[in-house]
Amino acid sequence: MLFGLVCLTFVIANVAPSDPAALAAGPDAGRSQIEQARRDYGLDKPLPEQFLRYVTDLAQGNFGRSIATGRSVGTDLARYFPATLELVILAMLLGVLLGVPLGVISALRKDGPADHATRIFAVSGIALPPFWFGLLLQLAFATWMGLLPTSGRLSVFTEPSEPITGLLLVDSLLRGNTALFREALSHIILPAIVLSLPCLASILRVNRSEMVEALRMDYVVAARAHGVTPWRIVMVHALKNAMLPTLAIIGLRWGWMMSSTVLVETVFDWPGIGLYAVSSAIAGDFKPVMGVTLIVGLNFMVANLIVDLLYGVLDPRLRRA
Amino acid sequence: MTDHPSRRGLLAGAAALGLAAPGVSWAFERDGNRKVLVFCGNQQVPVLDPHVRYDWSTRMIQQGVYDALLKYEGDPPRIVPWLAERHEVSADGLAYTFHLVGNAKFHNGDPVDAEAVRFSFERGLRLNAGIAWMLKDFLKPENIVAVDARTVRFTLDRPFAPFISYVPWWYIVNPKQVMANQDGNDLGRKWLTENGAGSGPFRLRRFDGNALIHLDAVPGYWKGWPMADGERVSGIIYRIIREAAPRKAALQRREVDIITNITPDDAEQLARVPGVVVENHKGSTTFGIKFNCQQGPTADINLRKAIAYAFDYDSLLAVSNGAAVLMTSPFPASMAGHIDVPGIPRKDLDKARDFLKRSGTPNGGIELEYVHVQGLEEARRIGLALLDSLRALDIRVNIVGQPWPTMTSRGSKPETAPNMMSIYVTPVGTDPDTVAYQYHRASWGLYYGTAHYENAEVSRWIDEARGETDNAKRMALYARIQTQIVADQPELFGMVANRLWARRDYVRGFAFSPVRFTGEIDLYPLWAVG
Repeated sequence: MLFGLVCLTFVIANVAPSDPAALAAGPDAGRSQIEQARRDYGLDKPLPEQFLRYVTDLAQGNFGRSIATGRSVGTDLARYFPATLELVILAMLLGVLLGVPLGVISALRKDGPADHATRIFAVSGIALPPFWFGLLLQLAFATWMGLLPTSGRLSVFTEPSEPITGLLLVDSLLRGNTALFREALSHIILPAIVLSLPCLASILRVNRSEMVEALRMDYVVAARAHGVTPWRIVMVHALKNAMLPTLAIIGLRWGWMMSSTVLVETVFDWPGIGLYAVSSAIAGDFKPVMGVTLIVGLNFMVANLIVDLLYGVLDPRLRRA
Repeated sequence: MTDHPSRRGLLAGAAALGLAAPGVSWAFERDGNRKVLVFCGNQQVPVLDPHVRYDWSTRMIQQGVYDALLKYEGDPPRIVPWLAERHEVSADGLAYTFHLVGNAKFHNGDPVDAEAVRFSFERGLRLNAGIAWMLKDFLKPENIVAVDARTVRFTLDRPFAPFISYVPWWYIVNPKQVMANQDGNDLGRKWLTENGAGSGPFRLRRFDGNALIHLDAVPGYWKGWPMADGERVSGIIYRIIREAAPRKAALQRREVDIITNITPDDAEQLARVPGVVVENHKGSTTFGIKFNCQQGPTADINLRKAIAYAFDYDSLLAVSNGAAVLMTSPFPASMAGHIDVPGIPRKDLDKARDFLKRSGTPNGGIELEYVHVQGLEEARRIGLALLDSLRALDIRVNIVGQPWPTMTSRGSKPETAPNMMSIYVTPVGTDPDTVAYQYHRASWGLYYGTAHYENAEVSRWIDEARGETDNAKRMALYARIQTQIVADQPELFGMVANRLWARRDYVRGFAFSPVRFTGEIDLYPLWAVG
């Protein structure tokens, strides 16, 4: 799959109607400057040779050089990835911690007002374009109420110290710096909400329908007949079984959120790989775009692998199979 | 029971907001008893190396960190001495001798001497990137000589009158620092991408070209500061916010002090916000619709003329909310040698129909492609005005938005260039050659040469003017060049749009100069009251 992604990104980057050498040389560059840039970046070589070199470099962990900056794409990815990871983790936590309980509540109150309310919330969550929703939140919480900052990862006046994990919230807690934690939280909260909303909505809906199914099962009826407490029936028996499809959704949504950072990070100027990909794509600088695509693809694969392993933990029958 | 989780959720949300809210901070921040100003734009600064790249945001930071021999200032722009206190030109126009000031120092304390100047120009030419195109056809590295510690001489291969107009963009780097950080034979290119080695009014404190750049003011700057010592800022932060709405919001809530990349509509809105001042200045960036002069229907001069006479020029002013003036020549009015070319087309449908009759498509009935930068609303709206105007000639217009790299790539060859392409061009200097050369045969395929215009006589006059040392004769040549270009109509000469910024009212020292690129300002004179 990863090789397919490598091939696809390479083809897309090379069919795009732009001349990377001209971009590298600058807007007023003459022919000689453009040709020199072409040689410098190996763009004068035939495409199969460029592809072979790209794949060989990738195998050695080398993502190539950005045409716009001349910097190593691998170094840039290492610089920007922690910001994206932090955002996606927080968004996923919001999605799971709110989506699962709301799904359970909807199932328990099926066709009641709470169920209708969460349905409206879920449909809106999936339907709202993140770009628009992000701007709306900025307008409400930053411009009108003045409660939260508009964008960025930290105030411009705060210089982050040497990273430990690269996740600012974690690093600030590890250092015992609560002021930095609060500042980082104030910046991440809006983009995390925007990013989490479709995920939260999907988890909620899937979890609700699986819980409705599970609550109808014979083992639940038997548990009730044996006088097992409703709390234990829901949390131990029904939810555990309902979580299998929910886990699949979480795995898929992880990959989806990684790619959605392109929009959310642009609106909130969140300095992660999504913003890096957008800036590079606008500049016609495709090596970073290819690098980001591969990282997102890799994340998608790893997330789904973890989900597959968790299936076994939740359902011993699958382990035996 | 079902309400409880929602209530808890709300409380948790409110608690999170409450917890988070104290983290918000406001410009201008104080650093000790001094202020830090925040300038906000949409464009990143991928490479700081002054010999490798320039665009408005990059050059604004470069101008803060580095000095050049001369500097552009004011409106109308004039070239003033900077690292060079004076210069002379030989009678044959070949030798330029610069005499350096004696007190200039790099940020690490090294003196700025003639060797540093020689090294910097040589480096720019050898790297053959960024600014190299300005001088490389006229100056060889071996012809730059450090005569003594404070004198440097440039001997050109042949006379090149615009030479002085390009010198302000050649920044001087510290050779010792650069060579100490050389990687292989890269002349410090990798290191200078994110580091500074200059003598300018600001030194680099933090560089993340994708998010923010923090500059510290140099207290003992060799040139001194234009404001009283107590008013000098501690530093300036360039913050990147890519979307217009959050950028405006950031200014309104004082997260930033100055913003650029605002549309005329934004400017009108922001002007009504208390505490916000809009800077609206006549610029030198021209907007034109370049015709493909070599291929397709627009290769026919009569069709080009017909379009130029059919177009509703008032729509340009409407799109700009009046913050623009129509072009009266291919040269903007701020350019030396500018003349108002008599008979430059304005809307006249009778003339348009006359020209159409003489064209290869006398009854219209054709479709032309108009390409603009994707996402640039003004250019799209101008496309709509064009579409509306050309209905009178039964010409349909297909409006296409494309990313800038795609546009420039298509425009690089006559075979792929669209019929019409909207282009903004900012001249890099005040010398008329910087605009005239766009119409030279050698500019074919560059972003401003997408018209692929060819008139051998015009190219010859441009070459002649470059080498002419008698200013009066040069200006006469440029008058002829402007008239002939208008007669050939390689583009629809549109407008010179005003430059717009919005700033908080406590910001002082804002100094506009039309020679700077779109969002670029001089950071050196900025300060804040209060």
